[in-house]
Amino acid sequence: MANHKITVDEEQCIGCQICYKACFVDVIRWDAEKKKPIIAYPQDCMHCTMCEALCPKECITLDIDFEGLRWYQTFDRYR
Amino acid sequence: MKEVQYEQKRMSTDVLVLGGGTAGLTAAIRIKELNPEINVVVMEKNTAGYSGKANRGGGVLQYFDSKRITPEGFVEYHVHNVGCYLGDQEILHKYVSMNNEMIDKLVEWGVKVPYNEDGSLKVIPTGPMTGMIGVDLDITVQMRRTASKLGVEFMDKVSLSDVLTNDGKAVGATGFSLLDGTFYVVEAKSVVLATGSQNYKIMGMWNGRGEGIAAAYRAGAEMRNPEFGNFAQLYKANSHHDFVFSENVMYNALGDNVTKNFRRFPEADVSSSAVAEWYKQMSAGRGPIYIHPEEHPVTAQGVVMFTTPVVWNRPYGLKIWQKIYGKAAEVDGDNKEVTMALVGEQSPVKVDHDMKTTIDGLYAIGDISYTGSGATGAVPAPPGRNRGSGILNAVFNGLLAAESISEYVPAARAARVDEAQVAKSQERTYAPLQREAGVSSEEVIDGVREAVGPIENSVYMSQGRLDIGDRKISKIKKKVPQMAAKDLHDLSNCHEAEAMVLSAEMQFKASSLRKESRGWFLREDYPDMDNQNWLKYITVKNVDGEMVFDTEDVPYKNWPVQPPPGR
Repeated sequence: MANHKITVDEEQCIGCQICYKACFVDVIRWDAEKKKPIIAYPQDCMHCTMCEALCPKECITLDIDFEGLRWYQTFDRYR
Repeated sequence: MKEVQYEQKRMSTDVLVLGGGTAGLTAAIRIKELNPEINVVVMEKNTAGYSGKANRGGGVLQYFDSKRITPEGFVEYHVHNVGCYLGDQEILHKYVSMNNEMIDKLVEWGVKVPYNEDGSLKVIPTGPMTGMIGVDLDITVQMRRTASKLGVEFMDKVSLSDVLTNDGKAVGATGFSLLDGTFYVVEAKSVVLATGSQNYKIMGMWNGRGEGIAAAYRAGAEMRNPEFGNFAQLYKANSHHDFVFSENVMYNALGDNVTKNFRRFPEADVSSSAVAEWYKQMSAGRGPIYIHPEEHPVTAQGVVMFTTPVVWNRPYGLKIWQKIYGKAAEVDGDNKEVTMALVGEQSPVKVDHDMKTTIDGLYAIGDISYTGSGATGAVPAPPGRNRGSGILNAVFNGLLAAESISEYVPAARAARVDEAQVAKSQERTYAPLQREAGVSSEEVIDGVREAVGPIENSVYMSQGRLDIGDRKISKIKKKVPQMAAKDLHDLSNCHEAEAMVLSAEMQFKASSLRKESRGWFLREDYPDMDNQNWLKYITVKNVDGEMVFDTEDVPYKNWPVQPPPGR
């Protein structure tokens, strides 16, 4: 399973919810009390990068685990 | 057994749209335009406006220059070269004829399409018949805004469970909240499935997981052409980032140009013969495969079309593409190694020319019913060898469905759900949460991917390999009733896993039946097109829990372009 890392700089975050809304695979949840995103299910991230690209404060970073991605092909090189 | 109790909420509306991508939003907006009195609710697993495929794609719309080509001309080209005599020429003709009208509609709904200074559309020719125009990636954000202004209501973060029927009519649907687990029972006079295709959670942007297909199947709606759900294309080996049109410049590890082995003249897009060539080279120990992008006019351009506004100014998309392509470039460096990978795109819900399924009041639009509509023949869902056709196909379907629904709803009786069916749906929905321990959703999903993923099982097929795939799926199927969910997010994964098993089973079984090759559909053991026996669609239906296959004749005699006789 790929081990993608998503980090949020909470100091910079203005609580706009765009990253939460933009996540189309329910990886990012919303903490209504703190008004900050929760990176709840990074194992299901499909690395579309919209959370990072659309953040108005550029305070969310996605580190894609490229080596952990699988191809599901028969050849050893592309398992 | 764990005690799991969630609140049940009842709602009622005229039209329930399931899925908030381009197709669902088009239908919702258009119904309101045609009749503002009709109540429309959109139920979406994540957030409508940000879900679907359009906002993560290439940002292009297919364009037909009516001064240069006629709908008849395009249909003839498509039937011979892409759909290979299975496509419904009437609906394809209508799609081309409505091209300008659809683009105008999108612009009217706030979607940003780049224009030249003189007000004309910025068209890039993509072939003798087609062109492309850009569209910015906030397309669905704009459409949601328009829908809200017109009074469409949204239920975000609610995952579809079942389509409800009563007396053979669709009367609503059930779903559960990913956030608090609430079980929603929504009564509706008409239900629209717009939940996308099946992509088995393999490649990044292709996010259809097939719950809508599974819900339609369980409700008894007929499926058609499920075997054309096997799209594949080339990806960069390090970044897993696609490289469109790079099948034109494939070289093996010995330095031989292998594109020459399957392509002698320019073609519309990637073909299953390119997929097969990659497999043959790899099997013969002549891999890995590399590309020489500088040798083809499109691949030579690299990614400037996306990462700069040089061709089209798409500021919203630019931010996203620069991130994605930037991250890919970091790991790819100068490496030109590529891999074929399965995308999937199974889209089998059968619909008529109004986008109505075989269940009264139930419609299916966009990527869920692309091959089920029969519109384009032997080719998987968009791009379907027609880059830019995905968004407009979704708009096209949404407009047709809205027209029909706006006539159907005012005359329909108030929906009444069958309480026994609701109770059964609720039990089925939460069952994986009730189990203390069991099989994980990941184990089931991985099992499906191991079966369908290898392109020799799903794209370059043979009876032996299809049988292996089918056997693997029947083993995984036994694990479905044993899945245990950790939480509500995982519960959604369990339902996706179940839908993937269903799609894979249809894929392997229908592919076994079709003993020929046609269009994208390619079998090593039956390499020729067989017009004597296979001018047919394969249909699938759930009959008391059994998957029953049948065929129906393609009504090609009613259409202008005729297939060559015999084999």
